[in-house]
Amino acid sequence: MTRDHRIWTLFAAVLVALGCGSKPENATAEPATAPAAAPSGAAAGTASISGTVKFNGTAPQATPVSMAADPACQQKHTAPVLTEDVVVGAGGGLQHVFVYVKSGLSGAFPAPATPVVLDQAGCWYTPHVFGIQTNQPLEIVNSDATLHNVNAKPVANAPFNIAQPVQGMKTTKKFAKPELNVKFKCNVHPWMRAIGHVVESPYFAVSGPDGAFTITGVPAGTYTLEAVHEKYGAQTQQVTVGDGQAQSVSFSFSGS
Amino acid sequence: MAFPFHRIRFLALADRSAEVLASVLVFALGFGAAVASAAEPPAPDAAAGRAAYEQSCARCHGALGAGDGVDAKRFYPRPRDLTMGVYKFRTTTSGTPPTDEDLFHIIAQGLPGTNMPDWQYLDEATRWQIVYYLKSLSPIFEQTQPEPVQLSADPGRHADLTRGRAVYETLKCASCHGAQGRANGTSAAGLVDDWGKRIRPADLTLRWNYRGGATPRDIVTRVMAGIDGAGMPSYAGAVTTEDAWQLAYYVASLQQPDHVFRNLPARVLDGTLPSTLEDPRWKDAEQADLRMRNAVTADGEWVAPATVNQVSVQAVYNHEAVALKLTWHDPAENADGDALAVAFKPSGVQGDVITLQAWPQRGQPPLDLCVWHAGGSAYETVAADPTAALAGQTAQAPLTAAAAYADGEWQLVLQRPLAPSGPAGAAPLVPGTLTSIALMVWDRSNPEGRAVSAWLDIDLGALQTHAAH
Repeated sequence: MTRDHRIWTLFAAVLVALGCGSKPENATAEPATAPAAAPSGAAAGTASISGTVKFNGTAPQATPVSMAADPACQQKHTAPVLTEDVVVGAGGGLQHVFVYVKSGLSGAFPAPATPVVLDQAGCWYTPHVFGIQTNQPLEIVNSDATLHNVNAKPVANAPFNIAQPVQGMKTTKKFAKPELNVKFKCNVHPWMRAIGHVVESPYFAVSGPDGAFTITGVPAGTYTLEAVHEKYGAQTQQVTVGDGQAQSVSFSFSGS
Repeated sequence: MAFPFHRIRFLALADRSAEVLASVLVFALGFGAAVASAAEPPAPDAAAGRAAYEQSCARCHGALGAGDGVDAKRFYPRPRDLTMGVYKFRTTTSGTPPTDEDLFHIIAQGLPGTNMPDWQYLDEATRWQIVYYLKSLSPIFEQTQPEPVQLSADPGRHADLTRGRAVYETLKCASCHGAQGRANGTSAAGLVDDWGKRIRPADLTLRWNYRGGATPRDIVTRVMAGIDGAGMPSYAGAVTTEDAWQLAYYVASLQQPDHVFRNLPARVLDGTLPSTLEDPRWKDAEQADLRMRNAVTADGEWVAPATVNQVSVQAVYNHEAVALKLTWHDPAENADGDALAVAFKPSGVQGDVITLQAWPQRGQPPLDLCVWHAGGSAYETVAADPTAALAGQTAQAPLTAAAAYADGEWQLVLQRPLAPSGPAGAAPLVPGTLTSIALMVWDRSNPEGRAVSAWLDIDLGALQTHAAH
């Protein structure tokens, strides 16, 4: 074999080795606004909690992000990409608010085997905010043909900083302890930001572009519901649901 | 505490086997005192650990270990904040704490190229007490167990540099470290560490820039463990350890030999001096490497990382002038602001001159500076502060210069008369005596930085008088 041929064979072998071991995944990421699957074992319910998170006041201007540090990123976008820390929709709805049942539940909620997927595409994290159960797998995917590193800085859980240089690479991580506001960043592309919230139960949702959220499969009971925004903090409300009932709750955050 | 510049003349050999031999000798001589602890670690004694920390560590690392000691702001790299439990140089996987031996090793060996010295003069028992004390400063040591990185066998002389280069490209190391390892990758300028402060990737061509050690074993450990706290991620899961070893040998091959001189001998030439970078006579001129530090620019602020780490100097002269060839790495070419100044000891000054890190300072004589701007001008001036020198506020005498920038590296040739007729105060250089020079470099893409060197003596040997031909 010529020297070059040996290199390419080895290169291909490395790629194959990296590719093997991850299950074939369907292309669409599990949307963070959809409720998680009801757990087996603990009492799955039939109630739902839904509502809207509103923003009061003048929303701060989102600033465009400069991707000049990596032409491979710049090329992926035809329109300017805006920062996502405060995203307010046309009707005043606040996006990316994590809403979850904070207390009032009883029983254990075994972690689902279905992973939550955090994708890096166009040098941008999708989703920006996600919820995940303790010990549920988080599958981090690099969909770009550039190097990303996933630098996660939880406090109660073990932090990590791992490189994903190859397009299509997947890394799976789990968080053993409940923790809110786990920040994810990429050092190579410093504008990238994602936030994960690790909770014990599957009863959580993230508000969409119109500020709307829905949590389904909730057992009957009285709960404290908490809404968390990365800039405007946390708010709680009490909510009581009966079997088969759909309860409506709204939150409102003010920007100064 | 100034970096202890070598005071021995070291022959720069391009031959790799000579370097390996030198490394083996240093390793063998240092082995008894270095690396692993010879005796059983003692039982923890909290009071002894606290006392030793206060005596030896608190000045830089702070009374409570938060990296905010009295001297901390002047140092780059910054003294570690020990309360976060984030340690950069470990043999453990990313997110897990260092082993006790990792901590002992850092204390014993220090971090070469930084202000963290070795603590060989402390006996081993004391060093172990400091290790135990450090562990008490952060809960991570109880929350998480260290997970040692698993490495395959060292390929040694069977390492394949071509394969290593291919791995460098697959892992996209150039994003930060640059295609030739000169720390000029496209993402290098935006890097921020876990403490929210600017940080630079290592210049892989400079052995002393590798804080955690520069051997292939050190490099492969960094690649697999990552450097937690800095931007360097762990590549575990992205590369096999066999490929990581190949990468490590390739990266080690990027390191330039050290040229450290007490006096740099200048080469005398017949006829005119080289005015271009490509002049073949530069090949025979000795080279001295000057390490650069960032001068502190703002009072009370944390010193910013330097982007210019080292400048190489070569000198040739004839009976009329001296020509210097200067080479340095700069992450970006800025025609509107990159600059370099060669300081000469002012005329009539006896003894030591002010260190450039402390310059300007009231009461000190102005310095004789040969200034080059990337925009094209080069001149000699005598100035009391750098702003005046750069901005042309003082009298200037033009100089001949030629410069070029390629892939993260500037090269410059500057000629200066031995006996300048102007400006007033310019120092005559006398063959047969030592001439002292020091360097200042500005990188426009690093506005907080003015990199400065220590003084270097250039030996201009006495000129023979030539019979006319």
